[in-house]
Amino acid sequence: MTAELAESNREKLEISCQSCGAKLVVESHMRSTLCPYCASPSIVTRPPSDHRPSPTFLVGFVVDHEHATHRVKNWIAGSHMFARSDFKAAVPELTRGVYLPAYLYGAIADTQYSASIGENYTEIETYTTVDSKGKTVTRTRTVTKTEWRDLFGNHSCYVVDVIVSASRGVSNAALQAVEPFDLRAMRRYADSFISGWLAEEPSRTKEECFALAHDETVEKIGQMLGQFMPGDSHSNLQHQTQLSNEVIDLVLLPIWTYAVRYADDCPPVQILVNGQTGQVGGKVPVSAVKVTFAVIAVLLVIGFIILLIAMAQG
Amino acid sequence: MNEIESHESSNATTNCVRCQSPLESGDLRCAICGQSAPRQRAIAPKQLAVKILRCTGCGAAIGYDPKHQAPSCSFCGDVVKVESIEDPMEQTEHYLPFTVSEGEARAALREWLGSRGWFRPSDLSARAQLTGLKPLWWVAWIFDADALVSWSADSNAGAGRSAWAPHAGQNEIHFDDILVSASRGLSTAEVAVITPGMNLSSKQNQPEGADQTATIEQFDVQRSQARQQVSAAIHTLAAQQAERQFIPGSSFRNIHVAIILRRLVTRRLALPAYVLAYRYKDQLYRVVICGQDKRLIVGKSPKSVIKMFLVGLVIALIVLIVLIAMANG
Repeated sequence: MTAELAESNREKLEISCQSCGAKLVVESHMRSTLCPYCASPSIVTRPPSDHRPSPTFLVGFVVDHEHATHRVKNWIAGSHMFARSDFKAAVPELTRGVYLPAYLYGAIADTQYSASIGENYTEIETYTTVDSKGKTVTRTRTVTKTEWRDLFGNHSCYVVDVIVSASRGVSNAALQAVEPFDLRAMRRYADSFISGWLAEEPSRTKEECFALAHDETVEKIGQMLGQFMPGDSHSNLQHQTQLSNEVIDLVLLPIWTYAVRYADDCPPVQILVNGQTGQVGGKVPVSAVKVTFAVIAVLLVIGFIILLIAMAQG
Repeated sequence: MNEIESHESSNATTNCVRCQSPLESGDLRCAICGQSAPRQRAIAPKQLAVKILRCTGCGAAIGYDPKHQAPSCSFCGDVVKVESIEDPMEQTEHYLPFTVSEGEARAALREWLGSRGWFRPSDLSARAQLTGLKPLWWVAWIFDADALVSWSADSNAGAGRSAWAPHAGQNEIHFDDILVSASRGLSTAEVAVITPGMNLSSKQNQPEGADQTATIEQFDVQRSQARQQVSAAIHTLAAQQAERQFIPGSSFRNIHVAIILRRLVTRRLALPAYVLAYRYKDQLYRVVICGQDKRLIVGKSPKSVIKMFLVGLVIALIVLIVLIAMANG
């Protein structure tokens, strides 16, 4: 199926603009386009197939272009101290607002878990110490100790709203960086929502996305179990999760994508902005020079302190 | 704008295929388990098609506008109506009738005032003046559901050196006609007392059994918030039931529950109650009587200061005598 998908992704579609008649080429992974001559928005609807299902839901854009650019500029300027200086000074280039295909996954998760649960208790302990007059005395103090007990159990719950990227252009981790989306504002997909915007077709197979969603769900269950454990503390938490009654729906998510070109010899950095909430995400390039200087500075300070101690003792 | 899908939604009678909870009008997904609602009309194209959506006003192409959260025409500014996100205010579906008359409520109050225990002022029944009697239909959700509850907790059962030992388990709970109050007018404590008297099978489509002056409370939350409130109530009830029935031991802490809910059916009801106010020595007191069972009364009543002072004095004297006896002994 992957080969089939790759094959279909290579095909380009030639359409003529229904407004001005200009010939337009639509990449096979796109669902919509804009005519460069008359700016008419065209929407391409292809027959749905296993690897290219029709979108079920859509989250509309709320953040406009201006606002998104402003957020990106602030984000670049506010990046951490080890960011490259040329990156901090770079101007973001907009590639466009795009509806990114993602799968919305839900399931019933049945989990068997085992853990050691720590239950605290206090004991009064006697100890000997030397008092202010130099005498050895015996005193008591209250100490908290932990009793460890094994716990086994089952945990069942619904897992909903797990989002995984269905686009090869945007990794799941990159999408997670701009999550969450407010899914209460989700609409049923209609062509009119993507009119005038770019919308991508899914380029990952459903199976691939299922696997990604499974991993994310199991991780989520692990976090939930951490909260679920009784006792004052726990350790050795292990779990085995079975997912059943799975549902997966294709949803289009609003994303502003920016490319930041900060040096000629480095590839541009992809920055995403959540088109609904304005959340910015991306990888900040780290300056090797700054890190080296910082390490040298720390080593110098440590060396200086050791020298001072040595001088004081000598 | 014929491209825009007409408002379509699953009707109220369809159930979620996964958890069998009813889906309501406008639901895109099941509120309980997240399963997407079935589409009533499939629009899958048979072959590749390219289209431009046009404004019916001026014929220009339309595009989605983030400012309007809807597709709009950039020339004439016409905004296309799209399927809106439905989150209507909750509406009462049924009313339970008043079966207790105003006269009976008044008599019940008198009787209640006379049975307020030894600390009540002796003249309470005689001097209390009824200043207001208001029939009120207060609103609540009634739900049925099946729940698979996974629980974990610490309890004293099987405790070793520590006072606590961990326990975990999984049980089925069936919730039947459980009431969650949505009332602003009645407190939780008042609702708890008068609820057992309600006969849910007597529900009607119209308010009956009280005159026109009756106050009919309205739900003041939207559907999404209502679901959250019901869901939070189910969580609390499940934790309470786990504590009562499932977790061994007699003292508990760190109770956690995870729930798989099925067949959650929620009804929106207005229930009858009388809210009475009486005055005793310039002080107003409020009493609530169940509109379907006059024996269920909850409210405040004055205490006799003199009687309380005398009792305090007697107790102090007894303590003093005991102390003296102990000192001498």
